[in-house]
Amino acid sequence: MLKTAAQEQLLPGDTLQAKWEFAQEAGYDAIELRGKGDFHFASRLDELKKARKDGVVMPTVCVDMLHFLGAFDADLRRDAVDQMKSQLTVIAEIGGRGAQTPASYGMFSRRLPPFEPPRTEEEDREVLLSGLTELGEHARKEGVTLFLEPLNRYEDHMVNRLEQAADLIRAIGLDSIRIGIDSYHMNIEESDPAAAILAHADVIGHAQVSDSNRFQPGAGHLDWSAWLGALHTIGYDGHLALECRLTGDPLEAVRSVPAFLKRSGA
Amino acid sequence: MKSLLDRPAPTAAADLTLRRGAARVLIDNWTGASTVPSRTLYPHQWSWDSAFIAIGLRHLSVRRAQQELESLLSAQWADGRIPHIVFNPAVPDDAYFPSPDFWRSSTAGRAAGAPASPETSGIVQPPVHALAAWLVHRADPAESRRRGFLTRVRPRLAAWHDYLLGHRDLGGGGLAAVVHPWEPGMDNSPCWDQALRRVEPAAPDAFRRADLNHGHPADRPTDLDYGRYVRLVTDYRDAGYDDRAARHTFAVEDPCFNALLIVSERALAAMARETGADASTHSARADALTRHLVTRLWDDSAGVFRVRDLATDALVGEDSVTGLVPLLAPHLPPHVVSRLVDTLTGPRFDAPATRLVPSYALTGHAFDAQRYWRGPAWFNTAWLIHRGLRTHGREQDAERLRRGFLAEAGRSDFAEYVDPTTGAARGARHFSWTAALTLDLLCADPKEPTP
Repeated sequence: MLKTAAQEQLLPGDTLQAKWEFAQEAGYDAIELRGKGDFHFASRLDELKKARKDGVVMPTVCVDMLHFLGAFDADLRRDAVDQMKSQLTVIAEIGGRGAQTPASYGMFSRRLPPFEPPRTEEEDREVLLSGLTELGEHARKEGVTLFLEPLNRYEDHMVNRLEQAADLIRAIGLDSIRIGIDSYHMNIEESDPAAAILAHADVIGHAQVSDSNRFQPGAGHLDWSAWLGALHTIGYDGHLALECRLTGDPLEAVRSVPAFLKRSGA
Repeated sequence: MKSLLDRPAPTAAADLTLRRGAARVLIDNWTGASTVPSRTLYPHQWSWDSAFIAIGLRHLSVRRAQQELESLLSAQWADGRIPHIVFNPAVPDDAYFPSPDFWRSSTAGRAAGAPASPETSGIVQPPVHALAAWLVHRADPAESRRRGFLTRVRPRLAAWHDYLLGHRDLGGGGLAAVVHPWEPGMDNSPCWDQALRRVEPAAPDAFRRADLNHGHPADRPTDLDYGRYVRLVTDYRDAGYDDRAARHTFAVEDPCFNALLIVSERALAAMARETGADASTHSARADALTRHLVTRLWDDSAGVFRVRDLATDALVGEDSVTGLVPLLAPHLPPHVVSRLVDTLTGPRFDAPATRLVPSYALTGHAFDAQRYWRGPAWFNTAWLIHRGLRTHGREQDAERLRRGFLAEAGRSDFAEYVDPTTGAARGARHFSWTAALTLDLLCADPKEPTP
């Protein structure tokens, strides 16, 4: 059976311990942390260590910033890489598995005006290979993994499909970089999400879940059993981390997910 | 929705590996709306393959299982027939023979009701579809209801059975006849040899086989047989695929084909009850078909059902797996069931190297351990017989067959069929129905009733 996690902001409670109590009651196996910029995540180290001591399971952190390793601006890019390195260090320190980031988010879309980005595809690739290599080496040193998340075409113009992420990862050749897949983005970008999971099984490291409409699993029309069946087929042993918006009563929505995923084959 | 958790979960590592392997085959062979039987040998959609595939796919994705059947039904002819091949227009004509330009369904079959597109063949395969649809429904009744699955497929499946009983009762005895050796699905079984000998083969230069590009000649039908297959199709096509106008030089009543019609009629009755419609017609048909099956095809001296050749109106003296599949029918006379189980476990079908059931008696004069349906053991017939054994409370025999099936499927890498004398895998590997039925035997509730 696949394990589930909920991102911390979706859980009620003022402390990670309180959130963990709710999460466990709802059937989650872990909490996915969110890593803000300005080294905010590192500033939480004491809180995180305390939570870990209290038994809170926190295998992964997902970046929560507005600039990323693929930023057009060199200073922002530098900062994004530094922030991610810090997050990788912190997640390693609390015994976690890794940190997830997209190449960019909300910076440019080839589907929206002005359609042509200021950088060529070759330049994009160079920037990504450079940033990912630095992060991958850092992750390896820390004994954790960097998860690169393909986003849909309206949110990022560089890495939309698993094959694009896999291509970068294979080019770099570091085991410490893996794909962090997301069911919502895959639904938009992959012609056959289940087949894409099988095709890139060797480089998939993490999975986030939300439905076709970005709401919690069960609120949309994804073929969950095929998607989860593919993850079973490749022997995926990570978590299914809930990253979504909520529809309906928010607590009920969060509570409904583990049971729904299990019914769907998780 | 019946939770996957409520089902018996495969716990042993071997079962988990097998389950993953089977799911991988089904994901790999999925083409968007249906599944190819094999990426190499069979690049289109096949009728009874799709039904067996849906039975396994329901454990991986109920939605895909529904699509599998509905994509097939979308190519149904107006006269009700479900063609045995639905051609994928993206695949080149020379990838498979006979190809769309040979069948010419959209032109030659127009009067009989062939769709303008897609192109299809003009013959049929065994009616396992309603059984498959019912099992797919049962896998997740809530999702089925939400998507209106039964409401859509039930009338189409009823029309399919109407075609078989209305146009194909060529013997007048209340059973459906088949008019080409490909129709019963066991293409080159010795059961057809006698009837085929009356068919003048098409000249060898009139066609070019594509099955030998990927399949080994020793595993496949011979050229002479192929010439006869081609002749039968040509004649049927030239008669506009009109069963009343066609002069069928080959017409036989097949036990497996009619047994599947019986359980599929019962499945239609169950669907009718589920959707608030009248089930009595289907139940009555199933009962009548069962009586006719026993009256017309049971050979008490041989302890097995046999094929009736309509040209001679006599039973064909060959013992084939088709004669054992009727175990699937629930209301057989008890002595028939006992005799069938004796035959199944006796020297004719108890193979030395596999628990699967040979397609033709090991002791038969025409037995050939490697050639397709002249001896090799197939997974779909084993699945049907397994279900039949359960239907009649033969749990131990059923369980032995189930274990043998799973061991063979894993060992053979989901082969199309196996040599019953050596256990060697033959034909295509990663064969879809082998994987699908593996998944079903691993995941289905063993107490799930056959309707």
